[in-house]
Amino acid sequence: MSQPSERIALPATPALARVSRQVWLALGIAIIAGSMLPSAVTSTLAITLLTQAVIGGILATAVGLVIRQTGLVSFGHAAFFGLAGYFIALPAKHGLWPLELSIVLAIAMPTLLAFLLGLVIVRIPGVAFSMLTLAIGQAFHEFAVRARLVTGGDDGLAINLPRTVFGVATEVFQRPQTMFVICWVALVGVLFGLHLLVRSRFGRVTTAIRENEERARFLGYQTVVPRALIFAISALIGAIAGTLFALYNGFVSPESLHWSLSGSALIMAIVGGTRLLWGPALGAVVFFFFKDVAGDLTEHWPAMIGLMLIAVTVALPMGISGALTKLLDRIRPAGVRRDG
Amino acid sequence: MLLQILNGLVYGGLLYILAVGLVLIFGLRRVVNFAHGSLFMVGAYVGYAVATYFGNFWVGLAVSVAVLAALGVFLDAVVFRPLQREDPIVTVLVTFGILLVLEDAVRTIWGKDFLSLKPPEALAGTVQILGESFPTYRLFVIVLAAAVAIGLSLWLRMSRIGLFVRASSVDRTTTAILGVNTDRVSIIVVAAGAALAGLSGTVSAPLLALSPSMGSFILIDSFIVVVVGGLGSFSGAFFAALIIGQLHNFGVVYVPAAATMIPFLLMVGILIWRPSGFAGQHV
Repeated sequence: MSQPSERIALPATPALARVSRQVWLALGIAIIAGSMLPSAVTSTLAITLLTQAVIGGILATAVGLVIRQTGLVSFGHAAFFGLAGYFIALPAKHGLWPLELSIVLAIAMPTLLAFLLGLVIVRIPGVAFSMLTLAIGQAFHEFAVRARLVTGGDDGLAINLPRTVFGVATEVFQRPQTMFVICWVALVGVLFGLHLLVRSRFGRVTTAIRENEERARFLGYQTVVPRALIFAISALIGAIAGTLFALYNGFVSPESLHWSLSGSALIMAIVGGTRLLWGPALGAVVFFFFKDVAGDLTEHWPAMIGLMLIAVTVALPMGISGALTKLLDRIRPAGVRRDG
Repeated sequence: MLLQILNGLVYGGLLYILAVGLVLIFGLRRVVNFAHGSLFMVGAYVGYAVATYFGNFWVGLAVSVAVLAALGVFLDAVVFRPLQREDPIVTVLVTFGILLVLEDAVRTIWGKDFLSLKPPEALAGTVQILGESFPTYRLFVIVLAAAVAIGLSLWLRMSRIGLFVRASSVDRTTTAILGVNTDRVSIIVVAAGAALAGLSGTVSAPLLALSPSMGSFILIDSFIVVVVGGLGSFSGAFFAALIIGQLHNFGVVYVPAAATMIPFLLMVGILIWRPSGFAGQHV
């Protein structure tokens, strides 16, 4: 007789209470290991590369989320990444308001923009969505290049950072050793947030829409708004990456809006695999180290990356993370099905 | 004013020749070739290299069209056909990889610097149109685009292959059941699409500066054309290219800072009104 009361109590239990012990453990290990990594890795070059990879990983996670929850492939996520940088650089240039407010706006405005855009473009099926996001992203890039008076054009803008941000010395954001930890914690936080999201009712509704939009609509679900929300959440994550990148470099340029960045983030997501939430971030690490190694060996690293993309797309449709978990499940006698 | 409209027609014409290749391939294979801009770029470079070597623009044009047609046959055999049972997005990703490889190859062979090609001597002058002088070569581009549009619609309406293409773009499965060898038709169509990309690439070489990234710029505009026109629609692509060409040109002249935003705003507007483009059926 105690069961019904438990069931009624279930919705009241916060989402956090339903997180399994393994996930808490993984979360703890990830944060501790990440915080200790800079003292273990002495080479500044390696830690710089890792910091870039983690920022890239956050952006790739954003792209991967859209693929995972809607099945749509975005070629335009650099727009949200780069816009965040300009939302920090422009007010700082004119001394409009404190940096703290800029950071809030840099994350909020691209999210809002993505939600409004999403209401229009998530209705566009399949491949056309990719074409549209590419065109939209590039429109922002072109605007940043042309509007020289506002954005400084191709030269970009240096960001005048104050001495402290949220009470933390700005220097902390610009030294790779400390910035790595900040970015790492941000990435782990994003992944944890998404873990909660995809298991929530909302996450399951979006999965249902991805599987069969018509049937989901038949069952009485709104299908446009949830997908626009996923697009907006993804833009929020992309804007977090863009904000970290702008603080780290103290500089923004139209390159941060260029479609080749969107393309790279997409490659990271595909190479890492999007079925698992941490796949795109793994793909980012692989991407940056591959680029570093290939860049030392040959001038033709763009072609190498292109070939890697083709090889993974054709041979490992679930990406590296998918292949890894498959391998692990085969080794383990009773493979437990895991996702997220 | 008249000159502005004509200039808009030049860009619209180039866009049309490129975009209609995308439409052809989409109609048959239901995939979008993200490397189409690179085919345009490779076409421009091949045309440039052959034309400067022989000192004759027309030889360059002919060789470029032939080389690109061969590249199209190759692409269909190694990419589009083996991937036809996969999700269309797989082909998108693979052609995106090809884009990176082709850009890198061109950068290696011809370098990063801007190159330029002179228009053929016969078309180097200007003509008087209603009292205003207009470069003959630009007029030639407009005429060529019109000829492509007429030729293509005649081919699609009159020839057997054209019938198969139209049938296949409406319903592939039924077309195949009725005994049409869609793989054979597809080779021809993809080769034609690639050849058109080569044609527009070489023809645009005297108008635009050649650089390895020239393909992505026009690819994005031709995507706007294809999406606004309605994926898979030939007439939709034709009208959309004309409109985008005019808007692009007026934008560059009157509001240079926002020129590239105009086609984009138009696109968003059209999609709010009709999510599948103005001549689109359900994709």
